[in-house]
Amino acid sequence: MGEPLDSAEALEERISALRAAVRRAVLDGDADRARALRRDLSHAEQDWDNALDAQAARAQPGSLEPAPERDDDQSPAERQPRGEPRGGTLLPLREQVHEALSLLQVPAAPRLIATVHEAFYATSFPTARLTSLRRDEERSFKTAPFARPYYICAALAADFLSPSRGLLAISTWPMERRIIGSLSPRVDFLVAAINVAQAIEQIPQPVPAARALLARFAANVRGSSSANSAGRPSGRIEPRSVIRAAQAELAVHQDEDHAARAEAARRAREQLDEPEQLFGAASFRRAATADKLAGER
Amino acid sequence: MTTLTSLAKVEAIALDRAQLIRTVRHVHVSPRPLIFVPLQLAGEACAPLAAMVGDDRDHERLLIAYEPRDRTERFRFAAGLGEVILGYVDGYAAGDPGEGVPYPDAPQVWVPNAGGMKFAELLGRSTRFRRTEGPHPVPASVPLLGRWVTYLAERAQHPLSSLFLSATQALTAHWATGQSATEDQNLATLLAWIAPPPGQTGAQAALLAENPARCPPAGPVTDPDFDRDVLEGLIKAIVAARQSGDAAARERAQALMARELHSVLKPTWDLMWQAVDLLRSLPPGDHVAERWKTDRFSFTGYVRYLQEGGVPQARRDAAVDAARRLARLENEAQQLAAHMAYDDPLVMAEYRMTGDAFAGPVVRAEPDRLDETGKRARLRPWITVETTDDVLAELGADLRSPARPAQQARVIEVERAGERTRVTIELQSGMGRKLVPEPGSVPGLGDVVCYTTFKAEFQPPPKFPDREDTPWTHGGPPPEYVPRDEEAAEEWE
Amino acid sequence: MSSPGGAGTERRLAWLRGGELPQTHNARTIAALASNPGCARRALLDAAATRKQDIAEHAGYPVPFGMSPFALSRGVVFERQLKDDPGGLLLALLRETLNLDIAEVGFTDLNDVGGSPDLAVRHARTKAVLTGRPDQRGTLFDHPLLRFRVGGRHAYLEPDLIAFRHDDTFHVVEIKSFAVIDGQADPAKVAAAAIQSAVYVLAMRDLVGDTATVHHESVLICPRDFANTPLATTLDVRKQLGVLERQLSRIAGIDSVLAHVPADVSFSLDADEKGVPQRDPGDLLRDIKRVDANYSPECLASCELCYLCRDEASGSTSVLGKSVREELGGIESVPRALKLARGDDPLPVPEDLREAAAILRRAASLRRDALAAARAETW
Ligand code: SF4
Repeated sequence: MGEPLDSAEALEERISALRAAVRRAVLDGDADRARALRRDLSHAEQDWDNALDAQAARAQPGSLEPAPERDDDQSPAERQPRGEPRGGTLLPLREQVHEALSLLQVPAAPRLIATVHEAFYATSFPTARLTSLRRDEERSFKTAPFARPYYICAALAADFLSPSRGLLAISTWPMERRIIGSLSPRVDFLVAAINVAQAIEQIPQPVPAARALLARFAANVRGSSSANSAGRPSGRIEPRSVIRAAQAELAVHQDEDHAARAEAARRAREQLDEPEQLFGAASFRRAATADKLAGER
Repeated sequence: MTTLTSLAKVEAIALDRAQLIRTVRHVHVSPRPLIFVPLQLAGEACAPLAAMVGDDRDHERLLIAYEPRDRTERFRFAAGLGEVILGYVDGYAAGDPGEGVPYPDAPQVWVPNAGGMKFAELLGRSTRFRRTEGPHPVPASVPLLGRWVTYLAERAQHPLSSLFLSATQALTAHWATGQSATEDQNLATLLAWIAPPPGQTGAQAALLAENPARCPPAGPVTDPDFDRDVLEGLIKAIVAARQSGDAAARERAQALMARELHSVLKPTWDLMWQAVDLLRSLPPGDHVAERWKTDRFSFTGYVRYLQEGGVPQARRDAAVDAARRLARLENEAQQLAAHMAYDDPLVMAEYRMTGDAFAGPVVRAEPDRLDETGKRARLRPWITVETTDDVLAELGADLRSPARPAQQARVIEVERAGERTRVTIELQSGMGRKLVPEPGSVPGLGDVVCYTTFKAEFQPPPKFPDREDTPWTHGGPPPEYVPRDEEAAEEWE
Repeated sequence: MSSPGGAGTERRLAWLRGGELPQTHNARTIAALASNPGCARRALLDAAATRKQDIAEHAGYPVPFGMSPFALSRGVVFERQLKDDPGGLLLALLRETLNLDIAEVGFTDLNDVGGSPDLAVRHARTKAVLTGRPDQRGTLFDHPLLRFRVGGRHAYLEPDLIAFRHDDTFHVVEIKSFAVIDGQADPAKVAAAAIQSAVYVLAMRDLVGDTATVHHESVLICPRDFANTPLATTLDVRKQLGVLERQLSRIAGIDSVLAHVPADVSFSLDADEKGVPQRDPGDLLRDIKRVDANYSPECLASCELCYLCRDEASGSTSVLGKSVREELGGIESVPRALKLARGDDPLPVPEDLREAAAILRRAASLRRDALAAARAETW
């Protein structure tokens, strides 16, 4: 019974690998490979869609889609997709993501979300699953807008208000926070570092995964531990000094970043409809962009 | 590439098979070599996938890392390989040979190609610092394997050594094929040129051997099609079976993988033994045994070093070590070149091409000539050699002949007449103590002789400052190498 | 006579291509093109932006230029680790390597122009952003889309990333997944990365014109030792820039190549609606061979037509490699080299080959002697 779910995951990994491969093949001018890969890709996407529909119907309580035939004498908790945590909390995936994002307080990539959840809530999930989560959320929102207290949604690129690659956010956050301007990746990294460090301060006995996460942040914030170099932390890391160092750098970028985000947020509110505000401007308007480009030149 | 070798390559094309460019063998071939054919996962620095290894052609051992990206699997693989290689090496290190005496023989390991050597070097680098206790313990055979493999890879840099050989390199040192040097790196096509199957030309056989579906690559990287069509699915199945705890499914998938890997490794295994046989069929050069003795000494020394608890080799040479080492290698290369020329008329011919040697019949001989200018008369025979070779040697130059390498000789006169040159030589030693030469110690009229300006004797390498005296320009005295904890715990992802 | 790269040229190139969509260039193909500047066949196939691999296969010489899925996914994983979190690890690495100022943290993704896949649109955006007013410029730019002039035509190119530094200087940053172990990497791979970087540097210089400079030091990011931890190193590509410029200048303008190619030559596969080639392979092969090639064993690593050209070159000393041919005094044909070596050519040796012939004869006689001596064991 878990079969289709596992294969959906496998398919997602396969799809993302295939996409990358196609892109490379095209750029390498290797038409043959690209063609073969594209064919594989479209098959995989089709399979994935099918698997996903089945999964969405089965795993999302309150889903409007017809439930597949299955034994219905299970409690909701038991209805978790297979591969979900065996110990620890048994929250639905979207709630786990919500937990992690609420801790970080900034849009984040699937890998970071998974790592944070593992560090603070002791359960992890395959990151590839998160891509489909966003699609589920969008579908659910479109079917019944604001039926849920929150949605896992997209972060928007400041320039074109399109969904920013791979980042996830929470719909109840102010629009500004979900906009990604050019300084935002660093600003959000620093904010995340501060929030992770603060969370760790509050735990008496942080698990190794949490310490490792802090070390990862510390390694990439100058002045947060005595001797380190990019990507390679050393020594014992104090949450306090990470917070201090991150705040110091944050002060440098904050105002400019905030201004850019506020401006883009205003545009988003003016130009986008509700689903687009949450999940990004879907279609590309060539004329508008061409005008914009011409204007910049 | 020299003119003679290039000519042999042209002949190989015309004659439809590879041509010998040496008349004798210049590497030692062990009666019981260890063949080691490693495979690695594509795209990774050093992720062992499998190896076929053993010293008996009828009993190949197949070792596999079923999940090549998994750290534990890697160390399991390294431990297994360690057992095979250490078992083989130990066979040569039995007992105590006594002070200043080497073991009677030494191990000899063969890999298919330069990639195989590089793989061994990296495998050594990633295993030799591991520890058997502490936070990341590994089986004892892992660090020991690392040290031995590193030792072998280091020896392979020495021109005089035959402890660790690459088959393509050893073969191309003796045969010229009708394909380019790049294509000669492919063991299958190389052997196709050297020993094409009956009814095929070298070119035809090589074309067939080039097809990876017919002749799987000799590694360490596997054929991309094989990776995509076969390996990827098998590894996924194994991982999935482990995760779901399905032991039977895992065993099934592993058995399948073993069968597939056996089928891509076995052809290379057979080619390796063919390569050994081909080289063994050539008579050894006179200096080969002498060089092998250096290897035996070196091997004996390393066994002793390990017995005395020696630390693993450092990650990189300190400046003086590196300079010293380079000078040594350079010196060895010259020595090897001289050995080969003395042992092999085809190699000497290269020097005759460039004027560093000449050969021809003796057209005049005064075997009993005495030099009476001193207090005591001395035996100083003169011979005159007529040659069509270019002669670069000048008056007074010291010469040696491969036929009598210990005999000193000096150029007395060079006369050029058209195509021919006559060189008169005075022989100065190696003729016995009397005033008449020992029989055979002086070339007779009509004998064909060869003389050259270089010597095959050992020349001591240049002196370098001791470690303590390393000049500051080279960073001052290097610290003694002390293994560090982080090396033992280094990631191997 | 049409102007270079003009409509006439384009029409002929489209005819050569036979209705297929043009293929794009990348740094690797340009580097490969530059490695054999004397080859008209390749210049033309590339300029016409044909599917070389399909052509080779249909003509009867398929090339196994496949890439292992393991290598592919390793590259993807390594790159994603850096790109997933551009404000963290990647920035810290570049700060360390390029001494970036603390304020220099801007990251702009040029990959996505509101979802448009159009290369021209992406290029226009890249240009607008990279040549904008200094106060509007960011620091890191992901996936700029560049253009490169080769053989008188433009090709689109996409580097992994570009870093920008405060003193108005760009650095090309390349992410590669080959390992640097104890400070050393596979020299062939480093060399390939360096020449590709040089292609990007030239393309960047072309793009920014005089609004900024592009530094000759690129940044190479590779996994360190046996782990996935990245290591950034600067790579001086001045030498490669020189080589590249010299080689590219030797690639004849495509018009002059076309001038030597009969007008009816076509590389079209005449594919039907399903994409299945209908053209007679022999006919295709004949047309390919009507354009001059310049085979050397280096082609085996860089050109899809290598097996075809190698086969065509059999009987020529060029299949043995450049150094062999040099040792043979530059003589091209194998039978001729042998004849000269044996001295049994009844015809007189032409003046310009006398020296080469003498050397070959000498080599042959020495070889004969030595083999005889070995047999007789006289030494
Ligand atoms: S393989 Fe042929 S077409 Fe390609 S570069 Fe070499 S000679 Fe030119």
